[in-house]
Amino acid sequence: MTYHRPALALALILSAATPAPAHKLRLQGQAVAVAGSTLSVTPSRDWNSLSRKPGKNAESWTLDGEQLNEITFFGGVPAGSPLVKERSKKQAPLPKFTGTTLLVEVPELLEGTYRTYKNSGAFQLLSTQPGPFLGKPGVVFTYAFTDEDELTRKGEGRAAIIDGKLYMITYEAPSLHFFDRSVEEFHRIAESAKL
Amino acid sequence: MKAPLAGIALMLGLACTARTGAATAPPLPALPPYAGAYQPSGVDEMGWWREDDERERKLAASTLVIPDEKLTAYARQALCNTVGEDRCRSVRIYILREPTFNASMSPNGTMRIHSGLFLRVHNEAELGAILGHEFGHFESRHGVNHFKAHRSSTDVLAWAAVLASISLTYQVRQTYHDLELSIYGSFFRFGRNQEREADGLGIAYLNNSSLKPQAAAQVWQNVMAEAEASARSKGLKKPNFNRIAFTASHPPDGERAATLSALASPDGATRDDGAARYRAALAPWMPLFLDDQVKLNDFGASDYLIQSLAADGWTAGLWAARGDLYRTRGHQRDLVNAADFYARAIALDPALADAHRGLGLSLLKTGQPSEGLKALRTYLDLKPAATDAGMIRMMLPQEVTAQ
Repeated sequence: MTYHRPALALALILSAATPAPAHKLRLQGQAVAVAGSTLSVTPSRDWNSLSRKPGKNAESWTLDGEQLNEITFFGGVPAGSPLVKERSKKQAPLPKFTGTTLLVEVPELLEGTYRTYKNSGAFQLLSTQPGPFLGKPGVVFTYAFTDEDELTRKGEGRAAIIDGKLYMITYEAPSLHFFDRSVEEFHRIAESAKL
Repeated sequence: MKAPLAGIALMLGLACTARTGAATAPPLPALPPYAGAYQPSGVDEMGWWREDDERERKLAASTLVIPDEKLTAYARQALCNTVGEDRCRSVRIYILREPTFNASMSPNGTMRIHSGLFLRVHNEAELGAILGHEFGHFESRHGVNHFKAHRSSTDVLAWAAVLASISLTYQVRQTYHDLELSIYGSFFRFGRNQEREADGLGIAYLNNSSLKPQAAAQVWQNVMAEAEASARSKGLKKPNFNRIAFTASHPPDGERAATLSALASPDGATRDDGAARYRAALAPWMPLFLDDQVKLNDFGASDYLIQSLAADGWTAGLWAARGDLYRTRGHQRDLVNAADFYARAIALDPALADAHRGLGLSLLKTGQPSEGLKALRTYLDLKPAATDAGMIRMMLPQEVTAQ
């Protein structure tokens, strides 16, 4: 429609003026700080770090695209903050990590966040076990959820609360083929994590 | 040259407005005679059905569909009790696990019900009111008519754009802009009038059924009360239930409640609303649906829903859900309330393991570790294979776990 042409032209000019979003390569064997924090990991193969950050204290990595495999680092979420950026603080608030949140409640916090943030109607926590993370007592949990694209994904997370801040790494991929293919990579990254 | 062009554009626009802008208020609804199994006719409708068949094939395999024969059979029974046995034969029902208030029906007879609907209606008559409305869309073939209205609106605009581009001046552009607003406005109004027509049919089914037709207006009263409670707890302005936005797809809730209440047959007020049947059929699913709602993080709406479900009497499940809601929000005052709600749940059903877990965690956080650990121990006794048993066991002192 002729009516929309000026808007389209403007959009084209604007998109040409701003640099294209730059994803970064995280090289095998090189320790790198993630999520704008002191949390650092050493990947055992090359990963792509996505330029789109899900939240202030978060960062996402992927191998084949975020819908096929995604690792999200949460580097020290302070008390009173949600895990990811809220779309609308007033209309669709997300659950907050608080000073009283217990380690056993962290998986529930992620579940509540996903149900609102990813509009996931079906989310199931499969297991919650104690396990060390960053050299501190932490929690290891697994889950499965069906997203808006109706693909069932499996996920695994490790978290610890250190000095009142939440440190967590999650890995999610479609349960068909992709989860099992890269889960070992995730384990190696989680074990390499240092603060 | 300019004036005739603008004139043509305007005439095209008026033609379309006349076509899409139907009457504003429906007459008192009478039930049309049932025409039997309908088959699509014409290229548009046949195409729509073919696409719809494909969508239904995908839907049937979707992981979000709740594969519970009993629940689906009950929803079908509620529909049949509303629209009648002959009509409801043409419908296939799919219940989706999706905690929002919605249901829809597509032209080929596929009915989708979101699980969130079951928390917002309290009896069979209210459920029937919503399903009857959707069936009204199906019986009046609104889907294909809406598609045609959309196509003719955009056709007119496309041609008008071609004509306008011949002599693009400020005046022609202004006329085109007015035409665009007027055509879109009448298209959205057409959609709203279809909803009004479906509301009219829905209440006509209920008037002719053995269920109480007054329930239809009650559904919208409940929806408004929930929206108000949600806005209140978020600190937002009270929603205006009579405002019609330019692009609104449905008439405003206030108008729907008033119209449905006026159209409900007064003789039906003494009829059964099927509340007992509804509660019995939904009992196995309520805990899951409540849990889905609580985890949506809409405190005001969830608290309103729990309390309105409790109008028929508090159950252990409702107290536990309220406890989860308050514990998740997590202010200190919420934790004290949560502990109280869990305790009430346990008083009604001492074997409700998750209530013991919630109670334990809430007490731990409000400085009562000894009581809290006792509750967590009970949780493990009741549910030793819980998914988080390892984690909870770690929180207990060693001498206790050693037993």
